[in-house]
Amino acid sequence: MEDLFIQISKAVVAGLMMGLVFGLVALGLTIIFGVMDIVNFAHGEFLMIGMYAGLLTATLLRVDPLVGLPVAAVVGILLGLVCYYSLVRFLLRGPIVAQLFGTFGLMLFLRNVALMVMGAEPQSLHHGILVGKSFVVGPGMVIELTKLAAGVLSLAAFAGTWWLLNRTKIGKGLTATALDGQAARYMGIPTERMNAFAWALGGATVSVAGALLVNFWPVDPNVGLLFTMIAFTTVALGGFGSIPGAALAGLIVGMMINIAPMWDACAVYLEMEVGWLHQFKYSFVYLAFFLIMVFRPRGLFGWKH
Amino acid sequence: MEALKSAFDFSDFPRTDIWVARAVAAGLLVFPLLPHSSFAMATMIQFLMFSVYGMGWNTIGGYGGQVDLGKAQYVGIGAYTTAVMMIRWDVPFWFSLPIGMGLAVCWSFIIGYPLFRLKGHYFAIATIATSLILKDVFESWSFIGGARGLKIPLKGEMPNFLYIQFREDYYYYYIMLGFFFIGLFYLNWFRHSRIGFQLRSIKDNEDVAKSLGIDSHWSKIKAYAVATAFVAAVGSFHACYNFNIEPEDVMSLDLSVLIALMAMLGGAGSLFGPIIGAAVLVPMKNYLGAWFGARAGLVGLDLIIYATIIMVIAAFEPRGIWGLITRLRERRSD
Repeated sequence: MEDLFIQISKAVVAGLMMGLVFGLVALGLTIIFGVMDIVNFAHGEFLMIGMYAGLLTATLLRVDPLVGLPVAAVVGILLGLVCYYSLVRFLLRGPIVAQLFGTFGLMLFLRNVALMVMGAEPQSLHHGILVGKSFVVGPGMVIELTKLAAGVLSLAAFAGTWWLLNRTKIGKGLTATALDGQAARYMGIPTERMNAFAWALGGATVSVAGALLVNFWPVDPNVGLLFTMIAFTTVALGGFGSIPGAALAGLIVGMMINIAPMWDACAVYLEMEVGWLHQFKYSFVYLAFFLIMVFRPRGLFGWKH
Repeated sequence: MEALKSAFDFSDFPRTDIWVARAVAAGLLVFPLLPHSSFAMATMIQFLMFSVYGMGWNTIGGYGGQVDLGKAQYVGIGAYTTAVMMIRWDVPFWFSLPIGMGLAVCWSFIIGYPLFRLKGHYFAIATIATSLILKDVFESWSFIGGARGLKIPLKGEMPNFLYIQFREDYYYYYIMLGFFFIGLFYLNWFRHSRIGFQLRSIKDNEDVAKSLGIDSHWSKIKAYAVATAFVAAVGSFHACYNFNIEPEDVMSLDLSVLIALMAMLGGAGSLFGPIIGAAVLVPMKNYLGAWFGARAGLVGLDLIIYATIIMVIAAFEPRGIWGLITRLRERRSD
């Protein structure tokens, strides 16, 4: 019984820490989606580029991975702006189909550029003040410092974004554009620039999430799709356009991914088959997306649609 | 009889189009007689397969305007039904084909009912989600081979028409060509049919369509089932043609998107659009892949070019190549 409790709380803690990073991954998507109703299929690829940015800063300059965070943020902002001005601006004029395929083309493009430049081998970080360190909180409970730091820094990034959107003039302009673009334009808000700002902000948050993630998750050019789907689910669960929603939904998705270890703990206790659920780790996420969309399209905190 | 007449009625196309279409059809019929490499043959078979996939997608995605990015799950159902039945119970292709299509259509009804409560982006992403769930299930289901997939055993004597196993590719080519023409004439009927008009009115304005008494939910589900049957049939063929299927191959998101992409590139919602799209993309993808893939350091360059074309088309001419042709024509007639 004791053992069961420890196993489950271990899975819960792991889920919560992963969940905060997932929330940060989804934050960028929810901002972009909330402001202009466009689905960004390349979101996972933005994350992948953020991961490489963090990795390359740390390995090429021989500095601590934490220095990679601002670098990744700058890369993300540039990436968001370039994508907006060279592609998304044109896609917005077309029908939904064009938007879906345009961003899908972007995803394919970024993925294969990464493949050409970085190669297909998964790469991971091996040095840094956080890597490999962990501390023990209780019997059998070990918390890796990289994951804890990622969780805490994600929270900080959330707070920063929330402040930016709710307490600054530019953030209020963004919210106004999201609520009603035309009315915002009449009020003298430069909506075109607000769209670009949304992409820059979205790119920055997801790149930072990538730079945090690379501390404990190997990066390869194909890592994006999984995170795109996770981000879609998180956004759907939290409600399109809701920032606290994204944070909370990230936690829930983090838990979902840890259903398999939780089940294992229970299965040992109940003397049932162990391990078979691991293959469906991500199916829970996809299924959750489907069920949420069908039964509660607004999500938990959605204010749009 | 009326339906058959309408299937062969192309009179609403300009005369030049009909002549071009006839020339292309004749070219397709005699292609195996012309000198060609085996690579060209494989490319042609793939072109036919993707045309039929695209035609299927076009019913719901083009005429109905519902962007479906989960077609690969039905390719998987068709392919796996044929392969499993052939391996386990020795059932010939021509019997397992309708069963596979039936199973796929049943599954499409089951998930189509909740799916079509969604619209636009939400529908598109939800179709991806269902497809990925089914792929996970197939990958861990040991009865159908799991992630390693299935290998169809050879039947000994060739050519074997019942199990469609041939040494020469042109048999496969003609079988696929048969599917292609059946699909084309069916679609020609479909676009004049009641459901075709219902779908187009739903695409233009769903609220108006509803107010005219169209049960839009049910029409979409029906069109989705038609699309599914097309895709599952080609999936069954794929299993026999490749002898080897695995979930990563027949059920990946890339395949789903490729299907939708070809239809969109050619021109969604037009009869010849998916065929034009497949005729452009399949050879391009194959030949670029063969040229660049062989050279070290250039892996992925073919897909970069491919992605660039997708982005340019999506940004500047969302109606695809067919839209471009129509626009040029309108300009000339002005």
